[in-house]
Amino acid sequence: MPDFAIQTKEVGNGVYMIKVEGFLDAHTFEEMETTINNLFNDNSFQIIVDLSGVDYISSAGAGVFIGAIGTAQENQGNIVLMKPTQNVMEVFDLLGLSQLFSFAEDVPSAVKMF
Amino acid sequence: MGYVIQDSIEIAADTSNLRNVREFMSRLVGKSGLDERDRNKVILAVDEAVANIVKHAYGEREEGWVRIDVHAGEEKFEIVIRDSGSTFNPDSISEPDMKEHIRLGKKTGLGIFLMRQIMDEVNYAFLEGRKNRLHLVKYLRNPS
Repeated sequence: MPDFAIQTKEVGNGVYMIKVEGFLDAHTFEEMETTINNLFNDNSFQIIVDLSGVDYISSAGAGVFIGAIGTAQENQGNIVLMKPTQNVMEVFDLLGLSQLFSFAEDVPSAVKMF
Repeated sequence: MGYVIQDSIEIAADTSNLRNVREFMSRLVGKSGLDERDRNKVILAVDEAVANIVKHAYGEREEGWVRIDVHAGEEKFEIVIRDSGSTFNPDSISEPDMKEHIRLGKKTGLGIFLMRQIMDEVNYAFLEGRKNRLHLVKYLRNPS
């Protein structure tokens, strides 16, 4: 698994998917944040984040989503988190985020959430 | 009292070293009596503690160090984290309201919140000679 890799692609109807691999910690979170902010700057607010390749996340990584979801929702969009690993869900549970974010198992399900 | 595990690591205070810290901790929690459900969480707590030190105790252009000492026995898993940066007392950060945090897009205080959620004890001291000392303790679920 790479330290950190990130790819963005449109999956249809203005919905973008960010695929993340590796770990989202205090060292790598800024690149994630920049990627989301670049989409916002392009007026793209419907974002799916594929977390299936993220083996580890800390509060810095979770903080990116906390910081972004308000902006997405204020612009009639959302941040949908797709296939988070067990490790990642544990951190979301600890932070109380499991009830506050939308989760999906695949792209079609995620797209329906917008 | 004899310890089952005793080991240390010292790193430059830079976020690029967080991975090394996690690998060090992963090796030790794997050998310890910590329940499997607690192992990843303890690694996370230490990561959060060190990340906070790097962010708050040292300025952007300031070089510093962080030392982590682990003592794990039959009843508890202890981590002592020392640095020589500016005073940063985690007790000064109040517990975040996650709904408010999301409403405002705030990201601060989450690391300390996680440390307190995970560890059974979080004790901070500022020692003479400009040294911070953070003592984290996790009690084993089924001590022998």
